[in-house]
Amino acid sequence: MNRYFLATLASHIRRSRSLYLLTVAGVALGVASVLCIQILNLNALSAFRGGVQAVSGEADFSLVGRTPTLPDSIFARVLGTPGVAGAWPLYRIDVALEDGPARANSQRGLAGAIFLEIVGVDFFAPTRFPIEGAAEETAANRGPSAIAAALSTPGWVALSPAFAQERGWAVGDSFVVSSGSRRATLQVGAMVDFQRYAPTASRKIALMDIAQAQALLGRRGEIHQIDVRVSDGQDIGELTRRLETRLGPQVQALTPQQRESQAAGLLSAFRLNLTALSLISLVVGLFLIYTSTQASLVRRRGEFGLLRALGATRGQVLGLILGEVTLLGALGVALGIPLGYFAAQANVDIVSATLSNLYLLDEIERLELPLSLYLSAAAIGIGGALLGAILPALDLGRRDVRGLLVAFTLREKISSLAPRAAAVGLSLLTLGALIYLAGGSRWKPSGFALGLFVLISLALCTPAFVQTVCRRISPRGFGLRYSLRSLEARLQTTSFAIAALGVAVSMLVAITLLVGSFRETVSTWVDVTLQADVYITTSSWARAGREATIDSSLVERCERMPEVRAVDVLRQFFAQTQDGRRIRVAGVRIGIEGGEQRFPLLAGDPEEALRRVENDGAVIVTEPLARKAGLWVGDTLKVHSTKGLIAMPIAGVSYDYSSEEGAAGMDLRFLEERFGPGPINNLALYLTPGVDVERFVDALRASLAPAPLEIRSNRLLRQEVFAIFDQTFAITRILQGMALLIAATGIALTLLVLARERIAELALYRSLGALRSQIFLTFVGEGLGIGLFGLLLGGVGGVALAALLIYGINLAYFGWTIRPAWPGGALLLQGATILAAALLASLYPAFRASNVPAGELSREDV
Amino acid sequence: MPAPILSLRNVDKSYPREGGEPRRVLSDVSIDIEPGRRIAIVGRSGSGKSTLLHLAAGIDLPTAGSVWLAGRDLANLSDRERTLERRGTVGLIFQFFHLLPHLDVRDNVALPAMIAGERPSSWEPRVVELLTRVGLESRARDSVQKLSGGEMQRIAICRALLRRPKLLLADEPTGNLDDETSRAVMDLLVRLTEEEGSALVYVTHSAELAAKADEVWRVVHGALERTP
Repeated sequence: MNRYFLATLASHIRRSRSLYLLTVAGVALGVASVLCIQILNLNALSAFRGGVQAVSGEADFSLVGRTPTLPDSIFARVLGTPGVAGAWPLYRIDVALEDGPARANSQRGLAGAIFLEIVGVDFFAPTRFPIEGAAEETAANRGPSAIAAALSTPGWVALSPAFAQERGWAVGDSFVVSSGSRRATLQVGAMVDFQRYAPTASRKIALMDIAQAQALLGRRGEIHQIDVRVSDGQDIGELTRRLETRLGPQVQALTPQQRESQAAGLLSAFRLNLTALSLISLVVGLFLIYTSTQASLVRRRGEFGLLRALGATRGQVLGLILGEVTLLGALGVALGIPLGYFAAQANVDIVSATLSNLYLLDEIERLELPLSLYLSAAAIGIGGALLGAILPALDLGRRDVRGLLVAFTLREKISSLAPRAAAVGLSLLTLGALIYLAGGSRWKPSGFALGLFVLISLALCTPAFVQTVCRRISPRGFGLRYSLRSLEARLQTTSFAIAALGVAVSMLVAITLLVGSFRETVSTWVDVTLQADVYITTSSWARAGREATIDSSLVERCERMPEVRAVDVLRQFFAQTQDGRRIRVAGVRIGIEGGEQRFPLLAGDPEEALRRVENDGAVIVTEPLARKAGLWVGDTLKVHSTKGLIAMPIAGVSYDYSSEEGAAGMDLRFLEERFGPGPINNLALYLTPGVDVERFVDALRASLAPAPLEIRSNRLLRQEVFAIFDQTFAITRILQGMALLIAATGIALTLLVLARERIAELALYRSLGALRSQIFLTFVGEGLGIGLFGLLLGGVGGVALAALLIYGINLAYFGWTIRPAWPGGALLLQGATILAAALLASLYPAFRASNVPAGELSREDV
Repeated sequence: MPAPILSLRNVDKSYPREGGEPRRVLSDVSIDIEPGRRIAIVGRSGSGKSTLLHLAAGIDLPTAGSVWLAGRDLANLSDRERTLERRGTVGLIFQFFHLLPHLDVRDNVALPAMIAGERPSSWEPRVVELLTRVGLESRARDSVQKLSGGEMQRIAICRALLRRPKLLLADEPTGNLDDETSRAVMDLLVRLTEEEGSALVYVTHSAELAAKADEVWRVVHGALERTP
């Protein structure tokens, strides 16, 4: 049989070139769709991991604060601790590149700024960074020119070669950066190639002398981190416990793995969504592979029947089929892997933008492709092809020889199994619902489990649904009704395509409803909370946060302006709660007139809450924090500060969609009492009635130039909020692409399979006087029918999933209340696009079907 | 004498073979079939009987010679015109019935009318009439899979006669049936075509069934000869 396989392979390919190409393409697309998402998911943390390795690679652990910074006085205590072989203080600050005075008051939005992370290091310590220009990188020889220049040249920095090249800078060039409202001129002193031994590290890391970093860009007396190397023989766990006890509860010791774990925790919900997307793409991929292999098998039914008639065993025929399918699968994998990589490259910016904007993590620099990804791609492609071939192959093997040779066959077994499959599907749905009700908030994945059961149930109910609906259609002519009726004829093939399309459309509808509802909710929230007329921040605020401070003289200056009725200020930084949760702590002028709506409450009386916040030092926590930490009005929030653990009564729970981490807001006076005085980060101006806001903004920009400030009107800020929102959810375009992929490729392959399976039927129509154009239109009608059924099922499934996402999964993972909305326009457009794709996909198979000659019916043509 | 409903004039039919001489199936075949006549075609397997029927139905074209159906030379017609001619003039019956399993009995019979774009109001009474004549009016809504072989062929006969074709072509209509059922089906076919006034050309291996024809023709080595 091996010889037969090799001898006939070339002629099969020659005779059915287009079908083989489509089969290989189907496998390739399936592999590529899965690989793309897996690459993005795997690499979401790669830059962070690379950064940790690059900056702290030699450290066994790092000491970081539960408060934003640590006093640099603790460094000496750490260095003097027995068991510590070496320690290095770090000051880390994100600065924004300023291209010159003309762009100081840039109108670029948050997404437009370019950030550089300055890592202030102690160059007196043994150099461990690969700074070019250092003669040798050892403690014995500090390198004559580079290190000395670092200490003595104002603004000296070492940049990565990749970043310098991108900016067109060489050693000796200067550039301007801003940190809050301060500007500083830095000079490129040397190159430091982190990426040499940490390839995924961000190219936007720069080294600077720690004292210069503190003085020019930050604050003296503070550090962010101390990297520690442990002495030989010293147990790391024992040392970290000893240090934490000695230094106090505001200090935390974290190994590189723990730091990555923390970052992974921030991203857990986002990565879970990517994983869910990956599973969907796996279903898509397997469907495409299944349909492709079916298409290539069905045309050779007669050949397999002949082989069986000549004495080939079922096993031999099965081996022949699986051998061919393995070959097709391997070709598809070979094409699919580079395709998947390029697709990931094309979408890396979308994911990076989310990582940077929402989670303040580094953008993905380079895509890592470990061997495991290649192996999993091969397994999916070849394994999927084999899996897709098993059912039709076993079916072919089970049939009696005559059944394979006769043109018409009785209705397939799937018709009788359809009711049973539906019963199983409904049972699974019930089971999923019970798991969800029982698990509830105690087991977060219960929502995903129910979602999975919804999709499986949808697929299993599809054959019965198609059968029931089609049987009720009585064809009155040879038109669309006849086409729909015919879908029931090959239920195994058509219901599979409809089910796959239904699953893809379900996800698409669910995500569209979720995003649409979310957008409406955020829009309402923005309308309520953004009450000021003008907002002032700094270029580096988006990344630097607390470190991006505004000079206090600006506040007084704004308060003196006759157009300004009131000035609100924001001081904000990250802190840790008692249970280790990272939250934002914010202080504002609570009593400002007109600012009552800044905290729309989910729980708590608004007047009472504001009174308690202003007079009693109570806080308002955001909904995500409240739900995740299990806090509510009347509870106490405990947060680490330099003075120890601070307990703050909760007066209200507010809606907040700016971050999933959660925040606690209080009056600025109480913030300063609890956490010490400090500079502010943002301003909000309330103008007197009748002032033209846009003109005022223009005038303010001119008067405050060249300070590196971002001045926006309320209108412009709202636009930017939604620009970031839309950018964050751009990943859903991948889902839309998948749904279209299924619609187009899946339907085309399915109809090609049908055209092959029904050659005799098509020949009959021609014999009875059907024109080619009539058969063409009938097939197009079947393609549209598959699209329509898929949309119908997907719509029902999508609404169910959307409800689960909005009321279940979202609350469990993100803690946001979302009010359902119906983006009718978007849904209609998607439906029309899918139908159009189904129509287009039908054209070639319909053309093939219409060319079946009537003579195919001859009984002598076996 | 009325004009023949079907005429073949010096028809040759060959099929190309890869790397060799074309295979000649029919050679210099001529026959005239008058309206209402019953013609039986006999011959060994592979002798070209089915090819003859394909040429008669306009499904295929001769390599040489001419085929005239209802007074029109099929070679001068486009594929579309030949299809339309076949639709209006010819009814086809097959050995393996070729009923569609996803349509019920009624819809299988009505298929030619649906293809022709006729309104249901025009074909529904005819379907009922034909089913009654073959004794299957009570099975109109049944799936064809529930029918016996003889019943299926009766449905196929109804389908072939639905649009009152002038010519009925039957390729081994009883080839898949037992002897008793074969006789019954053949008797029914003969009766109905007589009642409808259609000419009938049928291929058979059975001498008994061939004897029911007005004329018996034999295909031998590609040539068509009338048997005495």
